[in-house]
Amino acid sequence: MSMPDNRPRPRAFRLDDVVIESQPDAFLVEADAALPAVIDPDEGAIEAAQKRGLLRRTLISWGGLFWSAAGALAALALGLWFDRLIRDLFDRSTTLGTIGLVLAGLALVALLVLLARELTAIYRQTHIARLHIALAEARAADDREAARTRVAELAALYAHRPETATPRALLKGLVNEIVDGRDLIDIAERNLMVPLDEEARREIATAAKRVSVVTAISPRALLDVLFVVAQAMRLMRRIAEIYGGRPGFLGAIKLARSVASHLAITGGMAVGDSLVQQVLGHGIAAKLSARLGEGVLNGLLTARVGLSAMAVCRPMPFAAERAPGVRDVAPFLFSEKKKD
Amino acid sequence: MGGTLPSPALPNLSDLIFETGIAARSFADFVTGSGLRLGVTGLSRAGKTIFITALIHQLTRAAKLAAEGRRNTLPVFRLIAEKRLTGARLEPQPNDAVPRFAYEDHLAALTAADRHWPESTRRISELRLTIEFERKAGWRPGPSSLSIDIVDYPGEWLLDLPLLGKTYAQWSRETLEASAAAARASLAAHWRGATLGLDPREPASEDQARRLAELFTGYLKAARAERYALSTLPPGRFLMPGDLEGSPALTFAPLQVEDADTEIAGSLAAMMARRYEAYKTHVVRPFFRDHFARLDRQIVLVDALAALNSGPAAVRDLENALADVLTAFRAGRSNLLSTIFRPRIDKILFAATKADHLHHTSHDRLESILRHLVGRAIARAENVGAAVDVVAMAAVRATREAAVQQGRQNLNAIVGTPLPGEEIGGEVFDGTGEVAIFPGELPADPRAVFRGETLAVSPGEADYRFVRFRPPLAELGTDGLPLPLPHIRLDRALEFLMGDKVR
Repeated sequence: MSMPDNRPRPRAFRLDDVVIESQPDAFLVEADAALPAVIDPDEGAIEAAQKRGLLRRTLISWGGLFWSAAGALAALALGLWFDRLIRDLFDRSTTLGTIGLVLAGLALVALLVLLARELTAIYRQTHIARLHIALAEARAADDREAARTRVAELAALYAHRPETATPRALLKGLVNEIVDGRDLIDIAERNLMVPLDEEARREIATAAKRVSVVTAISPRALLDVLFVVAQAMRLMRRIAEIYGGRPGFLGAIKLARSVASHLAITGGMAVGDSLVQQVLGHGIAAKLSARLGEGVLNGLLTARVGLSAMAVCRPMPFAAERAPGVRDVAPFLFSEKKKD
Repeated sequence: MGGTLPSPALPNLSDLIFETGIAARSFADFVTGSGLRLGVTGLSRAGKTIFITALIHQLTRAAKLAAEGRRNTLPVFRLIAEKRLTGARLEPQPNDAVPRFAYEDHLAALTAADRHWPESTRRISELRLTIEFERKAGWRPGPSSLSIDIVDYPGEWLLDLPLLGKTYAQWSRETLEASAAAARASLAAHWRGATLGLDPREPASEDQARRLAELFTGYLKAARAERYALSTLPPGRFLMPGDLEGSPALTFAPLQVEDADTEIAGSLAAMMARRYEAYKTHVVRPFFRDHFARLDRQIVLVDALAALNSGPAAVRDLENALADVLTAFRAGRSNLLSTIFRPRIDKILFAATKADHLHHTSHDRLESILRHLVGRAIARAENVGAAVDVVAMAAVRATREAAVQQGRQNLNAIVGTPLPGEEIGGEVFDGTGEVAIFPGELPADPRAVFRGETLAVSPGEADYRFVRFRPPLAELGTDGLPLPLPHIRLDRALEFLMGDKVR
């Protein structure tokens, strides 16, 4: 140990001899930062909804078991039927039999491809939902390492979209710089998510508008219902696609389940704020025309479905950005209210 | 079994019986459904007793304090942050032959009027802590409980585990080589002189053996003294004999022998080798089998600061000791079969204890030094799929932080009451009154602390010096019992070690 330069030597100070500045306790500060992480009801609702649908492992439930078993039986029956068909065809002529066999083979290949697509779609959806939870966790814990890996995963999700090139390049640069975990996630949200949010909001607005107009002019109640359901499904899929998912058939079912449970969980809050108020406030419109009132109500419903879909499909929580409300996406439904 | 003639089949057979014993015990454990076996590993003075005491104190008091609306002292431990812990209690431990961990005595030592650290552990003890909580995930959400079995033991005994894989001649050779190194030569001179002048083939004599064992023990004790803080000093019972004091199993010492020498019937070498084997069979193996072979999680406590105080030679010695000891444990990813018959440690936390002796701005450096110290063990554990983390921790935090203005500089210091006799910068403390300590700065490059041959660096020359403090003053709760003592990152350690078991 050579005589060191100008580094301060280890030593003691009597408390009455020196000026001492007390420092804020770093560990308490850290603890405070960690505390509120757990309690955000909105985020909790989203995660709970994701767990009930998108992240649900269907095979474990009895319903899932039933459908799998029944599906397998049906597949066996179908296989038996095919077997007999091909045999019959061969009995008649070898050519017919060969054609039948080739067709069956093609159908099988197509089925396998469809199945594979379905599986990758579900995998992708699950991945997005997990990413959402992981990003929420990393942001709450202000964990720099986790934030880096997760933000890189987030950017990879949109690698095939040319319009996201600029924000992705920005994030790629930032990942290697010293940015706090929370800030990095916020930057990712502001740059990568906002354009997608805009797009999703536009979709919701269009769907809500369409539903309210069609309901107002449609001749039959049954047609209304079918139209609203079809629009809601279409809207959910569209929103999932905007955020990087590609739901197939099973994926759509899982998504619908998540959206439904999100609606159910947040339904109470909605009653408190906009929906009921607006429905009641729409007394005037309803008095003008019962059909017009119904149209507005259906439009509101569609908008809420869209917002829930947005919440569960988004690969990261609303943190730096405010989560949009019904009024933000479908202001036209409230136009009378503003005149009051 | 042919006296001292080691037959080649014998080790395999005894290993097999040993393994079968372990498998049978773990199967029994699995059937009776005992919970989590937490291995608290650490050489002597690493802070095992304090860690266990603080852990129990924090967990048993947490539910009540939360009900009173007090500040959560373990915010990172999600079980408590999510308010799912409903209670924790001490239970009679499953093993009737082992004394109970004297939690109440240790806590009293820490929190009584003349607060002091508990005495160093002299014998093995055990404890079972059961925590009651609400499970929120898994097959069966709702009220649930988890038993945590913890063992406390003298850290010296841990040094014996590497002996399990060594023959007497091998161990003798290694011990003699180590004692010839520059750092140890002066400490070992007396014993080396006696043993090198001996012919191991001469007839065995009890007097001779006793004299050698005494000299050898003297060397080990000297090397362990705080000033040198050396670590690789097996066999551990020589330092902390427990109830074996004076037994023949402890009356042996390394000799300058070849493997062949130990086979000469009646020779000193043969007697020593037999006693060495007896030590392994009757002392080390049962200790390992009963307490270490069946762990689920492990925390390795390392007092890096004592070694840093002493110098690079002591740091390297600590590195070797830890690498040796940790090879005895079974790490790896768990599956159902392994859980039933051959438990593996799937999570290992390396903790640099006494982090309260430094300002928190130095904790990153302490962590990277520790990462270097246990680098081999980390690589091995990660290879087999165990999760590993490193943390600078203080189970009981004895200091607070402050900045001291000195000239133009603002030094990051810690404030506490040093133990009587502690010394820094030429000043010796009497154990009364608080002082601010600037312990110096750890090097930015962790490899710097391994370079050099120095041992027992005098306080005047060192770049850093860590002083030991008295325990903090305990606050009393509304019920008159002491509140949990402050800590550093104990919650992070708990979250890593058992967070996933209480989801």
